[in-house]
Amino acid sequence: MTKTWVVMFETYLRQIKTWSFLFMILGPFLMFGLTAGLSYLTADSAKSSQQMAVVSQSTPLRQAYLKSHRDGLNTRITTTNQAKKAVKANHLAGYLVLSVDQQAIRGDFHGTQALSGGQRAQVQNFLSAYQAQTNTAQAKLTAKQQAVLSRTPTLASHISTKSGTANTVKIASFWAFVTLLYIILITYSSITAQEIAADKGTKLMEVIFSSTTATSYFIGKIGGMLLMILTQIAVYLAGGAAAYQWASNSRSFKPLLTSNRPLIDGILHNFLSINLLYLFLGVVIFILLAAYSGALVSKAEDASKAAQPTVMLGMLVFFATFPFQNNLDAIPVKILSYVPFFSSYFMPLRLINGTTNTWEVVISLVILLAAIAVGALMIGKHYQRLMLQNDNRSLWQQLLHRK
Amino acid sequence: MLSIQHISKKFATVQALNDVSFDVPDGQILGLIGQNGAGKSTTFHSILNFIQFTGQITWHDAPLSTENFDEIGYLPEERSLLPKLTIEQQIVYLARLKGQSAQTTRPQIDDWLKRFNVKGTRRSKIKDLSKGNQQKVQLICTLIHHPKLLILDEPFSGLDPVNADLLKQAIIAAKHDGAAIIFSSHDMEHVTALCDRLVMLRHGEVVLHGTLDDVRNQFGKTQLSVTTDWSATDLAALDHVTQVIPGHTNHYLLHLDDPAAGPAIFDALTHGHYIEEFSQQPPTLDEIFRLKVGEEHD
Repeated sequence: MTKTWVVMFETYLRQIKTWSFLFMILGPFLMFGLTAGLSYLTADSAKSSQQMAVVSQSTPLRQAYLKSHRDGLNTRITTTNQAKKAVKANHLAGYLVLSVDQQAIRGDFHGTQALSGGQRAQVQNFLSAYQAQTNTAQAKLTAKQQAVLSRTPTLASHISTKSGTANTVKIASFWAFVTLLYIILITYSSITAQEIAADKGTKLMEVIFSSTTATSYFIGKIGGMLLMILTQIAVYLAGGAAAYQWASNSRSFKPLLTSNRPLIDGILHNFLSINLLYLFLGVVIFILLAAYSGALVSKAEDASKAAQPTVMLGMLVFFATFPFQNNLDAIPVKILSYVPFFSSYFMPLRLINGTTNTWEVVISLVILLAAIAVGALMIGKHYQRLMLQNDNRSLWQQLLHRK
Repeated sequence: MLSIQHISKKFATVQALNDVSFDVPDGQILGLIGQNGAGKSTTFHSILNFIQFTGQITWHDAPLSTENFDEIGYLPEERSLLPKLTIEQQIVYLARLKGQSAQTTRPQIDDWLKRFNVKGTRRSKIKDLSKGNQQKVQLICTLIHHPKLLILDEPFSGLDPVNADLLKQAIIAAKHDGAAIIFSSHDMEHVTALCDRLVMLRHGEVVLHGTLDDVRNQFGKTQLSVTTDWSATDLAALDHVTQVIPGHTNHYLLHLDDPAAGPAIFDALTHGHYIEEFSQQPPTLDEIFRLKVGEEHD
């Protein structure tokens, strides 16, 4: 066991000291920072040029508009001349001239681009409301008549659970989970297969196998890779928590977080559950397969090809989830949630959808754990022979051979 | 004592080892010689349990197993280290796999580097070392945990005479520490200088086995080293002389087909003549090797 730890930490330390691991860990943060920074700069510079000014000979009319709509308006510009200059200098998207001619309200928009549908509706609504208000005042109606005329139709939305936030949470959780698992699997399958294949046939393996058993060494190698993955997940969790904390206190992101709180809480709930265990075990079983693929290549130079079988299987399982994203009650989903390699995707999806029970989860986990244990022992048993290449049998003979 | 008892190994149609038996007592050095493909590495791989074989290998009267890993020091035929590690990291890693803690290993490193005259410090990366220095680091990795069973596959390969002497000293020191040592070599000079016993393999079979003197004496005193003013032609004309190999001035090496012919040749050479040197010896190990290999070709 001590030697397994030695191999595990040696593998782990050797891998995390590489530039590729550092870039892999920091990549998402750099990308996030870069995107956020660029967005901020772009938004800041584009903000003024996307605004509209409102000018009018009638101060009450202008004030009424500014009172009803504040977003996207430049309130400092008050005259047509100022507005024209600002548009010409590309500091203003356009200006709205409001006027009253014989009790008729009129709006004229001047700009480099047409008003968007939303802006147009906004202006139209204001003009209609203001015109109605003017008409009512001019007609000198009784209070009762005014009340009758002010009646408006009611439109109420009654959203069912399936298409509401809960469903959005499920869909978002589904995509977040399968994508995250897929990225981790593909990344670490390649790293593991190459790490193992690079040792293939080297004389250092003879020295190592004269010091410890192949099974112990193999488990140490896999352990080292898993420590790497745990490091990455820990860094992401810490980074995510820090980013969340920062966003919660940020003036720009706070409203976004507040309005999407149920969605975010729902996704976090789906992740920080037994699904995290499925994610971890899924990575373990795929890494075992990747390590075996690495051990099967004919020479160390073929290390880059070693991950292909595992990557292909990873892609197959990933794409197999697509047809079922809106039909997680389907029979194939239930069956595949017990099959190792597939269960790491399909059982979490059933858990997210709430279409499974504790016993089904326990049975699926037991099958997955048993498959991992049997796989590790079997591969460990054949590992020395495969790595030392002191066997002249073909690949199929090796695969079928039982010592 | 390492005891190899009747081990055999077949790869497909090739009989790599056939009923090989020999012992390596503690504190002794056994040289394993033979042509390429004779079965030397296969013997080592059997001892290290890298391959399945028939027969038995015991260490101190118990089957050699994974329990004995920490007592073994193994140097493979081709050298291989982890290029990105420093010398210290590499040595500590392999020593820890041999059950020796980093705390015990680290203080010894500078001493070993000095002993083998390694051009580099403990912080030097393996990839930055010359091939010869990498080889020396691998030797240090093999020896630093003071193994009780030392298995060296072609340890002198690639070493210059100065470094070969350093290795010889290290092997002799391990012998004095009581280690049982087995090594293979194509250089009979090293085998002669170091070995208490030797085994020669040919096509996986033991063709010679014993102490150096025993093996040489098996062939009789069939060599004459003479320094005389006789010509090579005259020497070749003598009875029972099968070959004359001229050496430096007036020195010849004569091969006899009958050791008993020595006195008659001595009489012939000294009759009325002064002779500077006359020495009758068994063949050298190098000649025995060639002889045995020659038998195969005949």
